[in-house]
Amino acid sequence: MIDNVILGFQTALTPQNLLWCFVGVLAGTVIGLLPGLGSTTGVAVLLPLTLDFEPVTALIMLAGIYYGAQYGGTITSVLISTPGEASSVVTTLDGYQMARRGRAGAALSIAAIGSFVAAIFSLVLLMVVAPPFADFALKFGPVENLAIMILGLATIVSFSGDSRIRGFAMAAAGLLLATVGLDAGTGTSRFTFDSVNLLSGVPFVEVMIGLFAVGEVMYQIRIGAAAPIRTRFRDLLITRNELRRSVGPIGRGSVLGFLLGCLPGAGSTLASFIAYGVEKRVSRNKGQLGQGAIEGVASPESANNAAANANFVPTLTLGIPGGGTTAVLLGAFTIYGLQPGPLLFQNQPTLVWGLLVSFFIGNVMLLVLNLPMAPMFAQMLRIPYAYLYPIILFTSFVGAYSIDNNMFSVWVVFVSGVAGYFMKLYDLPMAPLVLGLVIGPLFEKALTQTSALGDGDLLIVLSHPIALVVLALAVLLVAGPALARLLPRNTPAEEREPAGV
Amino acid sequence: MKRNSLLLTAVVAASVLILTACGEAKGQKSAGGDGETFKPKGNVTMVVPYGAGGGSDMSGRSIAAGLEAVVPGLRINTENRVGGSGAVGYSYFLSKTGDPNYLLPSETALLALPLNTKVGFDYTRFTPIMKVGDDFTLAVVPASSPWTTCADLVNASKSGRVVAGISGVTGLDNVVFTLTEQATGAKFDRVPFESGDELLAALLGNQIQVASLNPGEVVEQLKAGKLKALCAFSEKRYEYPELKDIPTAKEQGIDVAFAQFRGLIAPGGISDGARKFWIDASRKFIESDKARQYIASNYLQPNALFGDDFTAYLKENNDTLKKAQGE
Repeated sequence: MIDNVILGFQTALTPQNLLWCFVGVLAGTVIGLLPGLGSTTGVAVLLPLTLDFEPVTALIMLAGIYYGAQYGGTITSVLISTPGEASSVVTTLDGYQMARRGRAGAALSIAAIGSFVAAIFSLVLLMVVAPPFADFALKFGPVENLAIMILGLATIVSFSGDSRIRGFAMAAAGLLLATVGLDAGTGTSRFTFDSVNLLSGVPFVEVMIGLFAVGEVMYQIRIGAAAPIRTRFRDLLITRNELRRSVGPIGRGSVLGFLLGCLPGAGSTLASFIAYGVEKRVSRNKGQLGQGAIEGVASPESANNAAANANFVPTLTLGIPGGGTTAVLLGAFTIYGLQPGPLLFQNQPTLVWGLLVSFFIGNVMLLVLNLPMAPMFAQMLRIPYAYLYPIILFTSFVGAYSIDNNMFSVWVVFVSGVAGYFMKLYDLPMAPLVLGLVIGPLFEKALTQTSALGDGDLLIVLSHPIALVVLALAVLLVAGPALARLLPRNTPAEEREPAGV
Repeated sequence: MKRNSLLLTAVVAASVLILTACGEAKGQKSAGGDGETFKPKGNVTMVVPYGAGGGSDMSGRSIAAGLEAVVPGLRINTENRVGGSGAVGYSYFLSKTGDPNYLLPSETALLALPLNTKVGFDYTRFTPIMKVGDDFTLAVVPASSPWTTCADLVNASKSGRVVAGISGVTGLDNVVFTLTEQATGAKFDRVPFESGDELLAALLGNQIQVASLNPGEVVEQLKAGKLKALCAFSEKRYEYPELKDIPTAKEQGIDVAFAQFRGLIAPGGISDGARKFWIDASRKFIESDKARQYIASNYLQPNALFGDDFTAYLKENNDTLKKAQGE
């Protein structure tokens, strides 16, 4: 173990690898900033440039892009309510409210600190306990995934704002939108109106850009009153009190993020939603969540970064990608003539440990980059809106086109933008819609698979203890306070019923 | 002004994207030239109908790099047109009919998509150039499985329930299971997944009993002893040292072989000269180290075909697919 870490430092600390690690995290930050251009695309596009590198150098840089993007995605979420990455959608809820009150600097700082702590936490776990965790993750089959998706849906109660019924309606709308496209079970095309563009469903990132960025710009133009936010430099710095309040959320976010990130396919977006949902239940300041509470930034940002790093658990130990970007990275392994798989740790210790140690170095670089930059980025809000809004619109549409090189994406952004404007006008919460759209396909897939495994009988859930525990958590999340008040003892039978609906 | 540097970066990056897109549009119709002397003018575009980093993407980029190496002066840009399980990319390619400056790294989705979904094309609308190789599948089971041959698998399915994971109902692994059912009277209970990676996880976690996966997807798991291969659904055994001991299904009395091909197509309606140019270039490519490296690292069987031979192969393959899907 110690030998391996030393070997890792020897590999990662060569000037060349340090330089490319820095280039990677910097490029990642910029890529994360741009709406539409996520880390998956970023890594894939820059991959061909690294073909002449040493494999370890190339992977250090590409991985740097991946976790760098996690930091960058936060910045625009907070400043202009435009998530640069899907996993930063939740951050807009409280981050943007903080920015409007002149606390953007604090929000960005805590996001950087939370991301850093979460990354270091999950990296230590990744080094020490990756193989047992990977084995545990394999126990999560379709049935367990179904339970996790139900848990994810249960967090809707936390995203509904003042009116729960509006939240549920929006989540239902998201789930309905998610049914468009080829269905996982039978391959039938649903609601596609013979358009090939709709075969793969309503594209989620485009909808997100439209709702949050374009919708917000249109709404602000309508109000017309929004003045540039001027703050004194002192207000841009995070206070001791804010730091203290963030300790709990960062801890919970990191643990949740790591656990969910270990599961192949669950991903950091779901982790950020669930972490926020949990925070809304257990935080001391839960009442303020949604109105610009620092906990609402600290928790999801820690969770998505922990999950992003934990994605490497199945990727490096089993050769099974944890998410979209790690799948591209696995492809890169093959291009460099390395075979990712269960034997990677054994056969390529220099590469694996060099890569892992470079994660540490890269995250330190990101913290050093992001902390002083946070107040500077926050100053961006002083740009008059006459200049800022056209730039947001421009990057949104161009970013959308760059996702698939397809005009269809641009139209989706436009339509969702108009929808987002009206949703704001009539005070309909957007996060549940996004949640429904993200979880919908995953939920349906798990449901179809569970049903197929059980030969049509969903009661096989009962024979999977892990799934039952997760379902119990979902019930606690929804009905926790009510149950605690009414009946202190909750039996498993009572727990399953509402969750299975 | 420091605070503008971020915006500047964003704007510059966005402008680059736009300019790239415009450059593409400009190059479109500049190609032409009939007869023997065809040579692509300007940059050629390799349209990949799947996301960056996937199998199709890697095949597209490898072929592009390989062609550039064997044809002096040739420049190929790779462009991912993603969506609709490949339908968006193929439809876009269809809109380039007559333009020999476009290429597409094709695989069996070219046949499977039109059979399963309403799309505006089938293989006859394009110009087949080269088949690079065949990617057969192996029947793989967890290391703890009691079965050692595909015959065991078939017998087990006749007396009890066998849960097979498939990568989607229209997936080619499903075709292999269907062909096996048709050939032997076996019966598999299918659980649909969405990719080979998901199937691997489900196999390793013992959620499913068997899956049919490409060698490249499972070879590391086989080496590590986490999974074992029962048989290869191929005409002849693999020659790669790590795969050569896996018997074919036919050796075990199951007459099933079905490959996913990897190849290259050009748009339909291009001139004979253009077609000949691409076929000649492809012949040079297949002899190159780049091609050998691509084939070996993906564990393909190197059964190259060109032009008319490839077209004939597509027709035969299409008929097999139709039969497997009960049409």
